[in-house]
Amino acid sequence: MRKSSNNPADLNDIQQFLYHEARLLDEQRWEEWNDLYLEDAEYWVPAAADQPDPHNHVSLIYETGLLRAVRVKRYRHPNAFSLQPKPRSVHLVSNVILDSFDKNTSEYCVNSRFVMLQYRREQQDVFAGAYRHRLRVVKEGFKIAAKRVDLLNCDAPLENILIYL
Amino acid sequence: MQHYTDAQLADLIRRDAVHKKVYTDPDIFELELARIWNRAWIYVGHDSQVKQPGDYFATSIGKQPVVMTRHRDGKVHVLFNRCSHKGAQVVGDTCGNLPQLRCSYHGYVFDTDGALIHVPNAEGYDGVDFGKGKPGSDMRRVARVDSYHGLVFASLDAAGPDLKTWLGGAAASIDNLVERSPQGRIEIAGGCFRYLHDSNWKMFVENLNDAMHPMVVHQSSSGTAKRVFDERLQEGDPLPFELEMLAPFTNNYDFFEKMGLTAWDYGHSVTGGKFSIHSAYSPIPGYMEALVEKYGEQKAREILAVNRHNTVVYPSFTLKGAITSIRVVKPVAVDKTVIESWVFRQVGAPEELFRRSVTYCNLINSHANLVGPDDYEAYHRLQHGLQTQDGNEWVSQHRYLGQDELDADGARHAVGTSDMVFRHQFDAWKDYMVTAA
Repeated sequence: MRKSSNNPADLNDIQQFLYHEARLLDEQRWEEWNDLYLEDAEYWVPAAADQPDPHNHVSLIYETGLLRAVRVKRYRHPNAFSLQPKPRSVHLVSNVILDSFDKNTSEYCVNSRFVMLQYRREQQDVFAGAYRHRLRVVKEGFKIAAKRVDLLNCDAPLENILIYL
Repeated sequence: MQHYTDAQLADLIRRDAVHKKVYTDPDIFELELARIWNRAWIYVGHDSQVKQPGDYFATSIGKQPVVMTRHRDGKVHVLFNRCSHKGAQVVGDTCGNLPQLRCSYHGYVFDTDGALIHVPNAEGYDGVDFGKGKPGSDMRRVARVDSYHGLVFASLDAAGPDLKTWLGGAAASIDNLVERSPQGRIEIAGGCFRYLHDSNWKMFVENLNDAMHPMVVHQSSSGTAKRVFDERLQEGDPLPFELEMLAPFTNNYDFFEKMGLTAWDYGHSVTGGKFSIHSAYSPIPGYMEALVEKYGEQKAREILAVNRHNTVVYPSFTLKGAITSIRVVKPVAVDKTVIESWVFRQVGAPEELFRRSVTYCNLINSHANLVGPDDYEAYHRLQHGLQTQDGNEWVSQHRYLGQDELDADGARHAVGTSDMVFRHQFDAWKDYMVTAA
């Protein structure tokens, strides 16, 4: 997609935004990360490949503002035992493609691939998959209106996923 | 492999404690597979997973691959998933429909009841003890299959009590699960989580009726949810499902004490009864009306008044009636266990009830949520703490010892936080493990 009056951002702006989101997670700046999201934005990790919706099937994570606020606050809780010792992460975002721009909602659909390495207590886990972001153009740049994370092995027997993908 | 005599096995279980080897010794784990998992009634699946002839669902009993099939006469079979020829798994996917089961190695074909029906180049078997119609040439069926309200269980042991007798008082939890449908019918729907734990299977099974842990283990999720919702919800806002679900985990000790604990033969047990952490949920519009239409007002009230919390059908199956979900225990190794969570739809109930069940499972049973990982952490620390050689070989189960009550029907009762349930599970464990030799 080329930059034009109908399409005010360019790929570089969007990539920088996705990298910024990944960086906030890796630096454990949870509150700032949550501020990237619109209050009613869905953060969704389906539990099945090609899962059509979050209502008729279980999901690894399905959160809007209230539950995200709980999770973000819990990250700082002194007795969140599964976070002691603290998990660490590296999120790599790649293969970024602008799928579409909707003028009416001022939203981009962005497709990308990710790898997330989670490390905690001598164990490193690798998660990989696809991101689908809906990014709304706002005064200060973008806000996330929705994020869907399709984990490659979403239906495998897995141990804990402790950090947002 | 270290061989345990009956006396040595019996010595691992005392009234007030069990030896830590029951959780840590790989040889004990192998014996458990042989003597518990190969003998008890083990949950296989629900018959709604194999509705049509040819439908199959591949799963496991202990570590053995099996496949549940629907034959063309309507009967449900559970077959060992092994070709009678060279031993390859015949069914390779988890579920689907196959009119015949064809081995992918040499193309031997079996009917959905396990009978060998086609061998390529069959004249090679003339005059020998293998081939179509010859004994031992079929895919083997497990020794016994039975179902209760569509929940299919199998036992690899031809002897032993029938399923209904074996379930005892735990059967009432299944009755209630199904009665909660305005059509008296449940169906598997909404998929499954498979949560891998690095701990012994018994730690999960015990935890389901452990009422001393929620207020400690889940304070960071339940307690935080209460605070965040308090801050953000305005007066008069409808209470979200999510808060109703998370908040009761940090109820006080008195609540869990009074919730009560009941146990029956073969290691089964239940927490709650009159009330539980699930009993204060808001009514779902249209649900009570649908139940009243089917059962009448009084019976509908009685059905919803049953507030069993977690029912454990030892060793493989646990259920929550109010949530319409089950968890299935899959032992993998002495320190490795997969817990599957499945959600049912109450046929004829408002869709909102199903969505509440889905939401509950997302919040509590997913391996990416805020609740399950803290349970996982507790089991992990048990598994590792028990590696110490500090002179303390025993795991305590002293709480409220000697205060159980036995009723006329043979059920044992205790306060909710009693260790009775653990003593009771290990009584059953000992019966399986020691009497088998």
